[in-house]
Amino acid sequence: MGSLYSEHRSWLHACPAGLKLGVLALLGAVLYAMHGVPILGLAALACCLLFASLGPATRPVRRLLRALLLACVLLLGLHAALGQWQAGVLSVLRLLALTLLSLAMTVSTPPSALLAVLESALQPLQALGVRSERLALQLALMLRFTEHFFVLWRRLDDAHRLRTGRAGGLRLLAPLTLRMLDAARRVADTLELRLGD
Amino acid sequence: MKPSQTLAQVSLFAALMAVFGLIPKIDLPLGVPITLQTLGVMLAGCLLGPRRALHAIVLFLCGVALGLPLLSGGRGGPAVFLAPSAGYLLGWPLGAWVTGAVMARLPAASPRTAALSAVIASALGGLLCIHACGVLGLMGIAGLTARQALLGTLVFVPGDLLKCVLCALVVHTVARGLPDWRLGGRSTP
Repeated sequence: MGSLYSEHRSWLHACPAGLKLGVLALLGAVLYAMHGVPILGLAALACCLLFASLGPATRPVRRLLRALLLACVLLLGLHAALGQWQAGVLSVLRLLALTLLSLAMTVSTPPSALLAVLESALQPLQALGVRSERLALQLALMLRFTEHFFVLWRRLDDAHRLRTGRAGGLRLLAPLTLRMLDAARRVADTLELRLGD
Repeated sequence: MKPSQTLAQVSLFAALMAVFGLIPKIDLPLGVPITLQTLGVMLAGCLLGPRRALHAIVLFLCGVALGLPLLSGGRGGPAVFLAPSAGYLLGWPLGAWVTGAVMARLPAASPRTAALSAVIASALGGLLCIHACGVLGLMGIAGLTARQALLGTLVFVPGDLLKCVLCALVVHTVARGLPDWRLGGRSTP
């Protein structure tokens, strides 16, 4: 699960992360407010040109363009099946424009900068119980636990196969949950020692 | 609850969402699709309570926003929040909060009672809320009519009902195996 950030500097690398995220959100809203095929076509073309202008910086995400094209074909097909060609074309143009914009932002913004912006953006949610500080630690723990889930799932599945000769499947969900909740308690004890709270 | 416990539990359930996203889509008989991430939302709500469940799902969505391919099908990045299915994504935190809020108020004195409460909480938060947000998203972003959006979302309902039952089974197991666990984030077990 590597980052898609490109070390190859482009003109967009110099823009602040918060500005890029804000512009992306604003352009997203504007694109959905547009309803004409010509204007959306122009917008999609502009986004293609912006993406292309980043040059070698787009190398980490070029393999995703094939998936984007496939998604466009499927989206158009779905709308065609419902008898809505124009709506299909509009949806495809929006998808193209927004995906290329967000890919341009992803390759030109270091993950640490995005994290800082997200921490600031999440602060209003603190009243609802969402703690935005130590977001990097939370994400790192999330990834570590994800890996541990699969390790533990494999161990439980191997044990189940030895006992029954069959794969465990969803039967392992309950024992896996108990083991992981227990693991979380042990991690919490370690964190309390390390962080002091 | 101590901040370290909150941090560990929130990260754990965000990881559970990631695990469910990495597991391939399952097709039930008659071609009904089932992805497991809404089960993660239900479990977070029932086991963590509203505030920490909301935190866990928001943390997971932050990972997605940062480009991690944690959604089913290996999707990730900011563009997914502007796609036609964004309503479902944005419905997850709300669904987790509602599931937790309902679970905290329903009885859980015994494992069986806790399981029944989990079915109700999951259905209200993990099914009704998420599908409502999903339908609004399909109407607003994909431009579908209400009828088309409702028909499009109904195909997922049988799978989600099955997930409510799965969630209840897990809650039953937790209530038996960890009797001091505070289901729904309540102040006493």
